[in-house]
Amino acid sequence: MTTEEKDILAAKGLSRRSILKGAVAFGAVTASGFALNMAMPGAAEAMIKKLPKKWDETWDVVVVGSGFAGLAAASAAAGAGSTVIVLEKMPTYGGNSIINGGVYASWDDKYHYRNNLGLGVDSPKQHSDDTLKGGDYYNIPELVDVMVNGATGALNWMIDEGDAKIRPTVTRAGGHTAYRTHSAVAGVGREYTEALRKMAEKRGAKIILNSEVTWIWRQDADPKSPVLGLEVKRGRRVLNIKAKKAVVLASGGFSQDIKMRMAHNPRLVPEFNCTNQKGATGETIRFAQAVGADTLQLNFIQLYPFAEPETGILDTPAVYPFNGPGYGIVYVSKLGKRFVNELERRDVCAFAQINLGANMKPTWSIFSRPMVLKMGGSYEEIDAGVAKGRFVKADSINELAGKIGLPAAALADTINKHNKYLEEGKDPDFNKPITKVMIPLIEGPFYAVSQWPAVHHCMGGLRINRDSQVIDVFGSVIPKLYAAGEVAGGVHGSNRLGSNAMPDCVVFGRVAGTNAAKEKV
Amino acid sequence: MKKIWLLLMVFLVTFSVLCLGIDNRGAEAAKAADSGKGAKATCQTCHADFAAVIPKGHPAVKGSDLTACTSCHAPDQTGKAAKNAFSSRMHLAHVAPKGNQDCLVCHTWTSGKSFGLKGVKGSFGAPNKEDVAMMKEIFASWGGSKFMDNLHAKGNIGCAGCHGKDLPKADDTVENNRCLTCHGPMDKLVKKTEPKDFKDRNPHKSHLGDIACTVCHKAHGASKVYCLDCHKKFDMKIQGEKAP
Repeated sequence: MTTEEKDILAAKGLSRRSILKGAVAFGAVTASGFALNMAMPGAAEAMIKKLPKKWDETWDVVVVGSGFAGLAAASAAAGAGSTVIVLEKMPTYGGNSIINGGVYASWDDKYHYRNNLGLGVDSPKQHSDDTLKGGDYYNIPELVDVMVNGATGALNWMIDEGDAKIRPTVTRAGGHTAYRTHSAVAGVGREYTEALRKMAEKRGAKIILNSEVTWIWRQDADPKSPVLGLEVKRGRRVLNIKAKKAVVLASGGFSQDIKMRMAHNPRLVPEFNCTNQKGATGETIRFAQAVGADTLQLNFIQLYPFAEPETGILDTPAVYPFNGPGYGIVYVSKLGKRFVNELERRDVCAFAQINLGANMKPTWSIFSRPMVLKMGGSYEEIDAGVAKGRFVKADSINELAGKIGLPAAALADTINKHNKYLEEGKDPDFNKPITKVMIPLIEGPFYAVSQWPAVHHCMGGLRINRDSQVIDVFGSVIPKLYAAGEVAGGVHGSNRLGSNAMPDCVVFGRVAGTNAAKEKV
Repeated sequence: MKKIWLLLMVFLVTFSVLCLGIDNRGAEAAKAADSGKGAKATCQTCHADFAAVIPKGHPAVKGSDLTACTSCHAPDQTGKAAKNAFSSRMHLAHVAPKGNQDCLVCHTWTSGKSFGLKGVKGSFGAPNKEDVAMMKEIFASWGGSKFMDNLHAKGNIGCAGCHGKDLPKADDTVENNRCLTCHGPMDKLVKKTEPKDFKDRNPHKSHLGDIACTVCHKAHGASKVYCLDCHKKFDMKIQGEKAP
């Protein structure tokens, strides 16, 4: 663009807002094929990203991201007869989902394990109440409603149609008032990404790796103006992909985008470890914003309280501290003392550790062999973890203290007191709600696993409605644009309850895919 | 048959050494190519007498252009994965760093329409200007980088060895089966890299599933152990990393 052209645009009084509102004064320009673009806010260049003259590929539904939400959307849309492509930026599929802890909150399951194992009552309503309370009521209630009512159906869908396998137990995790967290046989999210991938591919969806979205095509921000397609970088090639029915954004969160996470939550400095895969950056959210999408609550970013302390990964042993509280796991500091109610929410558990001070890294989870299977673990995982030094094993609490370098007397005192609390049904130190299925640390062998918080999950994201449609900054639906999973915000409020991510992703992915397939060509 | 191949190798090594030795003539040809006169350069610009560069015992070579070679060494257009392909040896001898020839000394090209060999029927594809620029860039990497492409070049494996018969596109990738033609079978590869201590820390048996070889092994860029992105403490190495 020449200086004169810039001057002309400036003289016409064009502002970002006037462009976004539908380019009233801009009609002459958009009519000649310019796309809405705020890539460089305030710069006139931002207005002249030209719409592609031809499309390199055309699909009914174009899904961005190959994690739980993207694959669920692809399965649903392809199952409804649409041609579907899943674009994955990374060289491997599955995003954070394939490496997640594999825990799934659902009030019921195909086998009715909670009921059959005598683990108390639950309902979608109770799941909703916990989720809202755990998110400090910042959650958008209609979105929570969709998740809790769709969770069981979505779990069974993956079991029935994708051959996903769950372990025969249900755990109670931090912030939940019921035993509703299901564990996968694989012990990680791969159990479900594989199920969903097989379902999507069987229905004809195509997953293409190394394909990075670099722009979302929309002519203008008129409420009737649909999203047209995407600009994609694949290898050394840039191509334009048309979406005849819809684009589904399922690109995940931005925990690895340090600049973006600090822009919204400045205390999440680079020194924090991160559990996420490298691709969890926020560009898709920015592209969606640039074509008018609204966002909410981007500052709500969760730390996983129990990551591997040195690297921050959420390896298999790092899932145990999360799954253990319902069966009596105890968290202790270097001083051998408890520091939190183990059934507390993730934000509370994370900051209880951080507030101990940096020199108090790591803290430890103490559990015993009789708890292992009940808390969704396996003896194979235990043995492998012991061999690698991630789990420390001992026959007595004294010996365990020695092996992990904690003061033995203090640890023994803490454990004895906690055993007594379980017996008495009351925890005067931290007010943990004691249940009858919690197991005192009397019978060994005993295990310890080290832990420390790491940046984990973005609760905020693109604003969607209960149909998974993306909403623009003026409150209108952006036609043919859907978002599901971590890229969308509002389901979890200020703090996501552990094991709610998967139902969020699979349920909304399913909703988005189903609705996308219904769009007119 | 084997003897002929061996002789050809000797011939080509000699040939390339000579090319290096008479750099000015190579430069002349390159200059001709640079100035758009590539089409006018012939083999004889450098090799006034083929007898001087072919090995002893090689039948007499007649003619002044590429057909002198291709009349016997028909270019392989099947795209099969082959070590020591004639095409690879010819390219190695003539592109950087050993040689300095422009593509069009040997090749015919009409942008967006065809790309072939002088005096040989058929076209390998329809590259445009950007495609040819990319191929030149990649050939330079293949001939002289520290990446995996050069490791293959040293084994006389050219583009077709990995990419098949068609000219590679900008978004081309290489399927695992192609790699496994030479480096397989998979079971054997898995066994070869199985760590003694923890068998599940095997880069060829990832918890991410059946991943592509190219996730770690990059032909035209620095290879990188993908595992290390998360598992920072693992002790793993890979060939074709950029030299420090």
